[in-house]
Amino acid sequence: MDNLSDLWATYRSTVAFAMVNAMFALSTYVVLSAGFLSFSTVVFGAMGGFVGAQMVIHGLPLAIVFIVSGLAGLLVSMVVAAVFLRLNSHWMALASLALVLITRVVVLNATTLTGGVNGLGIPMALPLDWLTGILVLTVLAFYALYHSWFGIASRVLREDPSVAACMGVDLRKVQFIAFGISGIVGGVGGAAMAMLLQYISPDTFFLGIAFTMIAATVLGGSYHWFGPVLGAAVYTALPSLMQFIVPSLQDVANGVFLLLIMVFLPRGLIDPRAMRLRRSAKGRSS
Amino acid sequence: MSAILELDRASKSFGGIAAVSELSFVAGRGRVTGLMGPNGAGKTTVINLISGLLTCDSGSIKLDGAEISRSKPHDIGALGLARTYQNVRLISGLTALEQVVAGSFVKRDTSFIASFLHTPAARRRMRALRDKAMHLLERVGMAHAAGTLAETLSYGEQRRVEIARALGADPVLLLLDEPTAGMNPQESNEIGLLTHRLRDEGLSILMVEHNMKLVVDFCDSVVVVNFGRHIADGKPLDCIKDPKVQEAYFGKQRIDADGLGAIG
Repeated sequence: MDNLSDLWATYRSTVAFAMVNAMFALSTYVVLSAGFLSFSTVVFGAMGGFVGAQMVIHGLPLAIVFIVSGLAGLLVSMVVAAVFLRLNSHWMALASLALVLITRVVVLNATTLTGGVNGLGIPMALPLDWLTGILVLTVLAFYALYHSWFGIASRVLREDPSVAACMGVDLRKVQFIAFGISGIVGGVGGAAMAMLLQYISPDTFFLGIAFTMIAATVLGGSYHWFGPVLGAAVYTALPSLMQFIVPSLQDVANGVFLLLIMVFLPRGLIDPRAMRLRRSAKGRSS
Repeated sequence: MSAILELDRASKSFGGIAAVSELSFVAGRGRVTGLMGPNGAGKTTVINLISGLLTCDSGSIKLDGAEISRSKPHDIGALGLARTYQNVRLISGLTALEQVVAGSFVKRDTSFIASFLHTPAARRRMRALRDKAMHLLERVGMAHAAGTLAETLSYGEQRRVEIARALGADPVLLLLDEPTAGMNPQESNEIGLLTHRLRDEGLSILMVEHNMKLVVDFCDSVVVVNFGRHIADGKPLDCIKDPKVQEAYFGKQRIDADGLGAIG
């Protein structure tokens, strides 16, 4: 029993980071599932993170902190969507990356909100039950979305935009909604990240986290909501796992593992299509 | 005969080359109208103009009386146009039934929020649409494959599923873009019979078709285009005998129309 609690003490923070990364990965996934690769979740996260941090510093209750952070993310996402939805997918990816770079400059200079170079210390740690509760709610929402008309429309849109349009799907509207959801989830994730780290600076929401959220989504699979959640868990746990297995080659092993998954499972760990294909192949042979 | 679709001097050019020029024709309500023309005649451009994937440079297109030449595809879809594609464009990863359910998107009658919350009304509506989708699969003879991934079906079967998907939208006009390409004569004939059954229930159909036999057997009237221009219209057999049509299809030398049986 003691061993178990030791283990928990060691991996508690890994689990917490996996959950926050899952939020970011889901935020990236929802836009990707409407046909756009975008790094703008970083920006939604930064907005939610700094707004949330300020509210915690000013002693507001946690529920308010998360709700307002989500709304702040939503606000930014609507502006980003209004500007970026004119672009094609590849240009969108580049433009959103540029936006991440710009955000850092803005964060550095908006010192009253962000503390500038010094960043912000947050006088409160994130209770793990809150984080769990938020992730469970988010996952439930994604489950409901997956089985809603939004889910159906975005699956068609992603595979074939012209077919979706001729079916009566308003592409812009679906993409706007996707960005809105991405903004809310990214904003809440940003506030959670701020409280988890208890310190945020311009470097918290920068290229590192952009890479993490894309890698987690691609690794887990971007065709089902469970993909990003699993991807975030695996991607977050991977460094400690690899350190355990091959201590001296940890970083190399990390990279090799990711490469292997991308080569052999290009659609990610969770791929509903592959599962159905396997099932129908089995059905035919029996 | 009232018109379900009316093109009036519709034109479209790509970089100075006119793909469709001043094309006018009418498709009658409750009839099967064929759109014919040799390869490169601009048939696909016409279909894309009607469905809104391309926008006319000039001229007008009216669907059921409403002007659609400047409308977006999803608005035209909402007005009651549904289509299939020359090269079958089903959605990868969805079962046959899911394809047809997705096709009924314009008939969902459910707001985004209600659908997200899965309210009782939203669930009832979804169940009704699923039942309807099943029924449509039965009509095209694909009920046995409802739960099968559509991409694992044969080409001919995929075409049927695609037609069922278009019917899911309860269209006022169904556009079939070469519905029998790659099918054997028997399968083609079944598609022809299906268009007649649908027509007899009141559906209007515009069919782009290469297969002369199918056009003669199943179209109530045809429009023939070449180089983006209208060259003939009327009853299928009359059109095929028209010297201009013969020239478009077979070149200058005239072939006796009675010899056409060999082509079908």
